[in-house]
Amino acid sequence: MEEREGKNTAKTVIENPEFRDWAGEKKREEYERQVLETALRAGQILLGNGAEIFRVEETIFRICRHYGVTSVNTFVLTNGIFLSAGNGREPYYSTVRHIPAWVTRLDKITEVNQLSREIEDHDYSIEEVSGRLDEIEAMEGRKKLAQIAVAGTACACFSFLFGGGPGDMAADFLTGLILYGFLLYGCGGLSKITGNLLCGGLITVCCIAFYHAGLGQNLRPLVMGAILPLVPGMSFTNAIRDLADGDYISGAVRMLDAVLVFMSVGAGTGAVFLIYHHLLGGVLL
Amino acid sequence: MIGQLAAAFAGTVAFGFLFGIPSKYFGHCGLCGAVAWGVYVLPFWGSDVIAVFAATVMLTFLSRLLAVRKRCPVTVFLIAGLIPLVPGVGLYWTFYYLVTGQMEQMSVTGLAAVKSACAIVLAIVLVFEIPQKFFRRLFYQKI
Repeated sequence: MEEREGKNTAKTVIENPEFRDWAGEKKREEYERQVLETALRAGQILLGNGAEIFRVEETIFRICRHYGVTSVNTFVLTNGIFLSAGNGREPYYSTVRHIPAWVTRLDKITEVNQLSREIEDHDYSIEEVSGRLDEIEAMEGRKKLAQIAVAGTACACFSFLFGGGPGDMAADFLTGLILYGFLLYGCGGLSKITGNLLCGGLITVCCIAFYHAGLGQNLRPLVMGAILPLVPGMSFTNAIRDLADGDYISGAVRMLDAVLVFMSVGAGTGAVFLIYHHLLGGVLL
Repeated sequence: MIGQLAAAFAGTVAFGFLFGIPSKYFGHCGLCGAVAWGVYVLPFWGSDVIAVFAATVMLTFLSRLLAVRKRCPVTVFLIAGLIPLVPGVGLYWTFYYLVTGQMEQMSVTGLAAVKSACAIVLAIVLVFEIPQKFFRRLFYQKI
């Protein structure tokens, strides 16, 4: 902290001689707006890709402070950022961003984190930072086919951990492929609850089919391995982190999200098992 | 045992891939998962809740250590490593028993799931109380 003060980095807007007259005043307003927009965009990328609340707030503060806007205040929820700045010496500015849904893209979070570190060490202009954020926003995800193959592998590994044999692993590999294929291509427009309900049902149908085809021996590890890709790990972990940091609203919302996902997956699986039990006389687990 | 650790490693890396973790962190991520699972299946914990607690403490500690060392958000290592421990599977069985009408099973499984969820919450909260300085110092002394 202290060593940074010596460098040119912390050039407060007020001390900048460029901004002294009236035209300068306008320029300064423009500059501050740009700083706040950029900070907000960094926060938006973080929040939309699964970062904790305090990381979003801290990044916004850090960027604003570094570029000389000290009067900024934020209020961050899981699906929105409220930001306002201004006091007697700095112009007023306020904005709200709505972030309706979040995905888990940890690579983007890592990149923004890296950028916010670099801002402190290097002397980036605000345009450069904005350009870097553009690049991060446009980062491609992994190939869909690769994702499907990897999901199958994950299912197979975890069915082994839960006590499955080689046959179960093979069956779970196939189930994982089908499930992730459906997740990526099949349920785009569905709500979260319906989507998870259908996924739970789909898994169970696949597992029972493979079980009867003789590929899997134990139904229980088979189903347990296959539902793991649906586990809302990000929501759950972030819920705990937010609760621990005292962001109770966001933590509670995320915890509710995790519980809802499990409820719908469990209900989907249970429904299929009930049908299986009554129509085909199969065992309940 | 070796097979289980290998499966935990591979499974965690696979989840890391799905969550978009940069590929240079795959090894560390897998290590976290394998260590967490290894601690979880140690024979002397006695109860599932304590095993989950111990595994999560170990995992969170390791994640924070790696996060300081690799200079990246701790989430990168924590989320994927926590997947096999998340009581979601238990919670899922609870709803499954509810739907299929096996009420006794439901209450037993539900209680166990809530207990291990609390254990995970406590473990993560406790380890995050350790100040960041501690990890920095640890790291600079080692290297």
